Amino acid sequence: MAQYSVVVVVAVTLNFLLPRLMPGNPLALIAGVDVGMLTPDQRADIVARVGLDAPLWLQYFRYWGDIFTGDFGFSFRSSRPIVDMIWERIPWTLLITGLSLVVSAVVGVLLGALSAWRRGTKGDLSMLSGMISVESLPSFWLGMVLISLFAVQWGLLPSFGAVTPASDLEGWAHVWDIISHAIMPVAALSIVGTPGVYMTMRYSMLETLGEDYIRTARAKGAGERRVLFGHVARNTIAPVITVLAIRLGFAFGGTVIIETVFSYPGLGRLVFEAVAGRDYPVMQAAFLVFTAAVLVANLLADLLYPLIDPRTRTS
Amino acid sequence: MQRIKRLKWTVLLVVLALVIVGCGDGDAEEEPAATTAAAPATTAAPEPGDQEEPAPEPGDQEEPAPETTTTTAAPAPPPEPVTVRAAVTGDEGTLTPYTYISGFPGWNLLMLQYDSLMQLDAAGVPQPWLASSVNVSDDLTEWSVTLVEGVTFHDGEPLTSDDVAFSVEFYTTNPEASRFARDFRGVADVVVHDDYNVTFVLESANPGFDVVALADAPIIPRHIWESVELPSEHQFAGGTNIGSGPYMLTEYVDSQSYRFAANPNYFRGAPAVDELVVIVFADDAGAQAAIRTGEVDVIFERIPPEQIDLLDAQDPLDVILGPEFATQMINYDASIRPFDDVAVRQAINLAMDRQDFVDTVYLGAATVGSPGWIHPGHSVYNPGIATDVYDPAAANALLEGAGYADTDGDGVREFDGQPMSFEIITNASDSLRLRIAELTVEMLAAIGIETEVLPVDTGVWENAVWPGFDVNNGRNYQIAMWGWSPPVQADPLRLPWLVHSSLDRGFLNLTGYGNAEMDELSEALAVEPDPAERKAILGRMQEIIAEDLPFVLLLYPDGAYVYDSSVYADWEFIAGQGIVSKLSLLPPSARP
Amino acid sequence: MTASGSERRAARRMRRRSRLPTILGVAGLVIVGALVFTAVLAPWLAPYDPTDRIARPFLPPSAEHLLGTNDVGHDLLSEIIYGSRVSLLVGLVAATVALLIGTSVGVVAGYYPKRLGSTLMRGVDVILILPFLPLLIVLAAYLGRSLLNTILVIGLLIWAEPARIIRSQVLSLRSREYVLAARSMGAPDRWTILRHIVPRTALLATGSFVRAVSGAILLEAALSFLGLGDPIQKSWGSTLYWAQTRGAFLTPAWKWWVLPPGLLIMLASLGFALIAFSLEERINPRL
Repeated sequence: MAQYSVVVVVAVTLNFLLPRLMPGNPLALIAGVDVGMLTPDQRADIVARVGLDAPLWLQYFRYWGDIFTGDFGFSFRSSRPIVDMIWERIPWTLLITGLSLVVSAVVGVLLGALSAWRRGTKGDLSMLSGMISVESLPSFWLGMVLISLFAVQWGLLPSFGAVTPASDLEGWAHVWDIISHAIMPVAALSIVGTPGVYMTMRYSMLETLGEDYIRTARAKGAGERRVLFGHVARNTIAPVITVLAIRLGFAFGGTVIIETVFSYPGLGRLVFEAVAGRDYPVMQAAFLVFTAAVLVANLLADLLYPLIDPRTRTS
Repeated sequence: MQRIKRLKWTVLLVVLALVIVGCGDGDAEEEPAATTAAAPATTAAPEPGDQEEPAPEPGDQEEPAPETTTTTAAPAPPPEPVTVRAAVTGDEGTLTPYTYISGFPGWNLLMLQYDSLMQLDAAGVPQPWLASSVNVSDDLTEWSVTLVEGVTFHDGEPLTSDDVAFSVEFYTTNPEASRFARDFRGVADVVVHDDYNVTFVLESANPGFDVVALADAPIIPRHIWESVELPSEHQFAGGTNIGSGPYMLTEYVDSQSYRFAANPNYFRGAPAVDELVVIVFADDAGAQAAIRTGEVDVIFERIPPEQIDLLDAQDPLDVILGPEFATQMINYDASIRPFDDVAVRQAINLAMDRQDFVDTVYLGAATVGSPGWIHPGHSVYNPGIATDVYDPAAANALLEGAGYADTDGDGVREFDGQPMSFEIITNASDSLRLRIAELTVEMLAAIGIETEVLPVDTGVWENAVWPGFDVNNGRNYQIAMWGWSPPVQADPLRLPWLVHSSLDRGFLNLTGYGNAEMDELSEALAVEPDPAERKAILGRMQEIIAEDLPFVLLLYPDGAYVYDSSVYADWEFIAGQGIVSKLSLLPPSARP
Repeated sequence: MTASGSERRAARRMRRRSRLPTILGVAGLVIVGALVFTAVLAPWLAPYDPTDRIARPFLPPSAEHLLGTNDVGHDLLSEIIYGSRVSLLVGLVAATVALLIGTSVGVVAGYYPKRLGSTLMRGVDVILILPFLPLLIVLAAYLGRSLLNTILVIGLLIWAEPARIIRSQVLSLRSREYVLAARSMGAPDRWTILRHIVPRTALLATGSFVRAVSGAILLEAALSFLGLGDPIQKSWGSTLYWAQTRGAFLTPAWKWWVLPPGLLIMLASLGFALIAFSLEERINPRL
């Protein structure tokens, strides 16, 4: 536990240092368009107002203060409160990552199980090579191709955003609006996300199938279905759940490209824009959210594991 | 069987939980969006009753139109409300005078809600706007403005001289919004004569005060802003965005969209577009996809050259083209060897095949650069400056004559015993500029100068060329690709900023250039009252630049904007500035 | 269902089982071999110098230019052929960097599991906790754009996974008899590690290496696409970057400008992933 908190402290410190290690000057962003026409006094005023004149250790100290008070100040770029900005974006990122996790989980687990059970058959071979190919697709490329086909060529789905702007939709129309905007980002994320789950499931299942008691059960002539569901599935699902939980943690940081391609208003895009503009406070806060998400996901995995896998419960 | 059931339930529960997390939060998102939307709607949009009270007599609205307006019969209002959806790349903040982000299109969107005393017309010349007349004293230090009577802010309060004086005072005492504080930097006093007459008293003569300040700074209402303590952290909550302009911001969703409603009581007449929705994209490609699918009706950014023909060919899209005053240029550190030698600078200038840049990189959608800096379409352009100067043979001869020979026969000339081999630093985020840099390498190789492109992050590039955005910090580059935004050139009186050797006056002099005659001309320009005389001075300055080459101007990208002509087609292209302005959205009769 | 029937099936499965990794592995080798061949012979295979402006920009495919030309008139086919060099180089070198760091950390952490090992593994945790892509962006911006830096950035970010895998292998090797015997006889640690531990992790390390190559190729493309690579280096990622910034995704040009480099990235990554897969199957014979 003590060691774990050290990891957290180091990670948080890096979150603070990384933005400041980047070359470039946030002054342009804070002062706005005509930064070059400021007098040196005005420049100093601005730097002081946002606290960048303080020595690094003091800024670092304040960052810890921010973490404990939950107030991260204002964005250099948009001058909006950072906490608001983050809260506005988390739901969108959760929506597309959550849905895509569900899709990846269902498809990955089912196909993975099938593949392992039918190990060595043509079906296994084609599924396996198919999954490895899909894993090798660049996600941005996939996203652009989806837009090009489904939005531009065929006009089936909206090409950008999370909702139709200023549409005043209500009720089910609104829900459908959100869903139709989420379909392509979710599809892109699911397509690249499924192979990982599939591979884990396949591995885990093969391992379980190799266990002595399963062999015994099969040798005893127990019905295949019974073996599959009774013994194999429950012993197999645990690592998959772990993989999914961990992936949920990384999902926040993993949507940068997809959110940029689809102009989706989530956290990933926020970070990408903040990095481009050296928006230190936003970067700091968003990185913290990412870190926290990973930690929570790990914790979740640790808590879920014994509930699902009876072996760890007894031991 | 029991086990199977249990497993099924576990899996089902996990799946369900994820769905709930996903969907639940999707719904929750509507809350913040809705609240930001609702708040301004109630406060920003005035109650119908409010509007009636201070509204002027119906006749008044027509009368104060300045003499330049072609007051033809107002067209009958269209039966159906027109909604235009416009795309921008990148969020622009909450669009108050203190929180808008970019000079373009942020400032342009800001000015939909506010008015300035003067407004640029299609030719880019300032015309009276909130002012019904602007008079300047002979010594250019006193600018007297008479306001149009009966103008009201969105909340129905009248706009008077008091608000003008307050705006100047507020900007100068809260200088973080550099642009407007700078506009009024030389203002010694603002004298309010009565509700509609006000005089700006300047510390020294400023012939460009109309362009730089009167046509630039938004007039803000005293009754709203006088209680604002920290304007740059003041959030959009309805009250902050009350101006007198043709549009009212009614909804802002960060990084998604802005919603503007037309101000039906606008003093120049109700806007032709009833609702303007500005949609924020993460990149150009997204906006271009959306205009193809019909999800947006216009893009409020220059479209890249290769898209012009493709989009124009698609029905019902049209592309409007016009001159813009943005620049692509080569900077070098003229204070170090060998760039301190004018022969080297002239050779580089002669080696540049400007037409090739225009044709290859911009596919023709750019104007060949004048070595004298000013755009040939600009009113003060000196027609004596040739733009067709490409002559690599002459460049080679020039270098040969100045003693830069290739003594070791490796194809690269030497200076002071070292090879003429340099890095060209450029920002990787500007892809067209990167291509220009690549072509520059080829062209310089033809005159024996070896260069290599160093594409870097924007911050690194700015820091090398313009460390800390302060020329006093010197320079850390040899050759750099550079470009200025249109305003730097639009107002030719800013030319001294680029070339004056004193860093106080030449605060955009990034190349360390100095020339005594140029300094004298710069100072004369700043106090010359006669426009014809100013033009003559500017003509001479262009000659010196073309001869002396403090930098090498390559080209001016043309403005190209795409719009859906079936939705709205009355876009007005302001020379040098593009289509994003209130002029485009007002009926033609209300434009200057 | 009779016992004998199920046994027969099991036997049939066993035979197929051993064939599957081989088939996929060979397929991977063929793909990688073809790409390496292309990269090595690029100057002979490419019809033009990819940095020469040989035709008008934005030409559609023709007999002279099978994939048309890019936005400044470079031949796209030549660009893609030469691009295989940078993409493969980045993939291989970055994976080597990652493997060197990963193996050293993994072996040391596994061999000294107490203080040193756990400290090292906490370092791995930090790397794994930090948001990956943002970290990539920050590092890329910090180090600047060049081929070397692209390689470094990718290498520095993907070593944590191999380190973990190798460590767990070393942990189990550590308690094997021959290692214990060597230690009890007073053999120096360095000797034991080099003689007994490292050779036995080699197969596993090869597996993670090949997987890392596949990941690095994808990352190089992503970095270039985000504009964080060196757009002037001709790689498949930078070809896509230019296609993206010059609007090719939305025009007919996507068929010859977007599709080929995208598919090649996928193919290269697939080739290495297949090899990795077959190696992993071999390493873990129980599977």
